[in-house]
Amino acid sequence: MTDTVKKMDTKTTTKKAISKVPEVLLKKRKLYADLKAKRLRAQVQATKNKKYKRLVIFKRAEQYVSEYRKKERDLIRLKRSAKVRNNYHVEAEPSLAFVIRIRGIRGVHPRVKQVLRLFRLRQINNGIFVKLNKATVQMLRIAEPYIAWGYPNLKSIRELIYKRGFGKANKQRMPLSDNSVIEKALGKYNIICMEDLVHELFTVGENFKKASNFLWPFKLNNPKGGWRKKANHFADGGDFGNREQYINQLLRKMV
Amino acid sequence: MAASRPLVSVYDEKGQSTGKSVVLPAVFRAPIRTDIVNFVHDQMRRNKRQARAVSDKAGEQTSAQSWGTGRAVARIPRVRGGGTHRSGQGAFGNMCRGGRMYAPLKVWRKWHRKINLKQRRYALVSAIAASGVPSLVLAKGHSIETVPEIPLVLTDKIQDLKKTKEAVGVLRKIGAWSDILKVYSSKHTRAGKGKMRNRRTVMKRGPVIIYDKDNGVKKAFRNVPGVSLLNVERLNLLRMAPGGHVGRFVIWTESAFKKLDALYGTWSKKSQLKTDFNLPQPIMTNSDLGRLLKAFEIQSVLRAPIKRQARRKVKKNPLKNIGLMSRLNPYAAVQKRQTLLTQLKGRRTGRTAESKAAARKERTHASLKTKRLSGVNFVKTTKTQKVGDATKTTTITTKTKTSVATKSS
Repeated sequence: MTDTVKKMDTKTTTKKAISKVPEVLLKKRKLYADLKAKRLRAQVQATKNKKYKRLVIFKRAEQYVSEYRKKERDLIRLKRSAKVRNNYHVEAEPSLAFVIRIRGIRGVHPRVKQVLRLFRLRQINNGIFVKLNKATVQMLRIAEPYIAWGYPNLKSIRELIYKRGFGKANKQRMPLSDNSVIEKALGKYNIICMEDLVHELFTVGENFKKASNFLWPFKLNNPKGGWRKKANHFADGGDFGNREQYINQLLRKMV
Repeated sequence: MAASRPLVSVYDEKGQSTGKSVVLPAVFRAPIRTDIVNFVHDQMRRNKRQARAVSDKAGEQTSAQSWGTGRAVARIPRVRGGGTHRSGQGAFGNMCRGGRMYAPLKVWRKWHRKINLKQRRYALVSAIAASGVPSLVLAKGHSIETVPEIPLVLTDKIQDLKKTKEAVGVLRKIGAWSDILKVYSSKHTRAGKGKMRNRRTVMKRGPVIIYDKDNGVKKAFRNVPGVSLLNVERLNLLRMAPGGHVGRFVIWTESAFKKLDALYGTWSKKSQLKTDFNLPQPIMTNSDLGRLLKAFEIQSVLRAPIKRQARRKVKKNPLKNIGLMSRLNPYAAVQKRQTLLTQLKGRRTGRTAESKAAARKERTHASLKTKRLSGVNFVKTTKTQKVGDATKTTTITTKTKTSVATKSS
C-alpha cells in the first residue's frame, strides 16, 4: 500500500526546482539510452563493413572470371601445342562430380542404401557435389544403378547454386538469398559469397568438403523431356551411371 | 511478513469514528487460498446431512419366479398366481414396474466428512483475510459503497444491544443497510422440491456480525434478514465464506477484532488460544506482479522482446531477378554488361555468335558437297524435269567449285 504511493508522483513538476522522478524510471531511461547508443554505433560499423565486403567480393569475382578463362585457354593451348608436335596431351582426370539419385526409396539393397545415405542422397532427384578419389569412385560404383553422375561445368555449378542453392544454417535448410548466410557458416574458410562458393566447388579446393557439406542436397526437378531408361546404364541407352560431360545437358533439364 | 499492518479506526454505533484505532491483525495478511476454502467448505457442507435411504423391502415383497425359456416371454421373474392384473407381471428387476431400484440406497452411506484441522484453520484464515479486501467483498455482491471502512470495526456497545429496532438503527448509521435491502429484494421461492419440505423461501446472505461477548447482540440482530452472528472464538467457515466463495461483509466488534491476534497468532508469535497454530506462510513474499515484472533484477536477465517475428521469405531466383543477383554478386552486373556489348557489337559487324555458327554450317555443307561431286568430275549431269506432260531433259556441265560459291549469300 505504501510502496505504490511513490509511483504516483511522477514527472509532474511542482513549482520547486527539483522534480521527484522515481528511481525505476531513471534506471530505465539510462538503460534505454545506453542501448540506443550501442545500437547506433553497431549500425555505423555494420554499414562500413558492408561496403568493404562488397568491394572484396567484387574483386574476387573479377579475379575468378580471369582464372576460369585462363584455365580453359590453358587446356586448349596445351592440347594444340601437343598436337603440333605429334604428341598427346593427357588432361588430368576430373576431380569433381555431380551425383543425382535416380531411383526411389523402395527395395534398396542395404549396401547401396548405406552408400546413398553417406552421399546424403536420401530422396529421388537429390543431387550432390562429390570430390572424386579412389574411395568415392568405388562408392559410386556400388551405388551405380541408383545414380546418374558426371563432370559438371561452370555453368551447371552456377545454375545449381544460384537457383537451387540452400545452405545448412543452425541445422535448418536456409535459402542462399544473401551472402551473410554463406559467410556465417564458411567465413572462417575465407568463403564469404556465392562466387567464392562456386569457385571452391569448381576448383576442388582445400575446403571443398566444408563447402559441399554446407550445401543442403539439391532438390532437382524431373528432367524436362524425360529420361531415356532409368533401368539401364547410360552406355546402354539408359540413364544410370557415369555419363561424364553429358551430365551438363541433363542438369539443364533438371535444374 | 507479506505487507504492512496499518491502523483500523473503530466506529461507534452512530457511524462516527471514535478516536481509537486498532492495529490490523496479522490474519488479514494471510494468503487467500480460495481453492482450500472451496474444498473445505464443500466438505463441511456435507456434515449437516441427514441420512436418507430407500426401504430395503421395497420391490422385494413378491415371490416372483422366472418362467424360464420356451414360453415366448422374457426371462424376468414374474409374479405368481392369478386372478389379478399383477399376476404374470415382471418383478424384482430395476427395469420392472414395481420392482426394486438398482443399488437400493443405504443408510450407511458416508454422509459426513472429516477434514484435517490444519486445512480447516487455513480455510478460515483465508476467509478472514478476504473479508478485509474491499474488492473481494464487492465481488461477492455486498453493497458496501456506503460503509466507512473495510474491515469495519464497531465499539463493544454493539454487544449490549437488546432491541432489534436499535440493531436496525445501527446498521443504517454505519451504511450497511443497503446490503440488507439487497437481501430483502432477493427473497424468492426456492426452486425444487424443497418448497414442499418447509424450505420455501431463499434469500441472499447479508453482513455477519462477529462479537466477543453476547450481551444481547444475537437476539437483537437475529431477526434482521441476511445477518449472521458469530462468536470470534467459534468462527464458522460456512458463514464466513458462504457458497465456498470468499469475501463476506464482516462487521467486527472491537474486542472481537483485538482477539484475532491472540486467536490466530502473528507470524512471529504463535496463537495463544489455539494449540500449535501459526498463520500459514505465503508462497511468494511479494506477489505484486506489476512491480516484479518491472524490477531491475528481473528485467536485466530477460532477453530482448521479439517485437517483429521473422516470417519465411519466398526464395527468388537470382538468375532471373537482377536485384537479387547484384546483391549476391556485385560483379554480375559488369559481366552482363560485357556480354551485352559484345552481342551488340557482333550484330553491327555481322559477326555475332549466330551468324558465325551459320557461316560455319555453310562452309561444312559446301566442303561436303564438293567432296561428293569431285568424285564425279566434269560429267554431264542430266536433270529431268517433269513439266506437265512433256518431260524436258536439260544437260548441264558444271564446273563445280564456282557455281557453289555464289549460292552463299
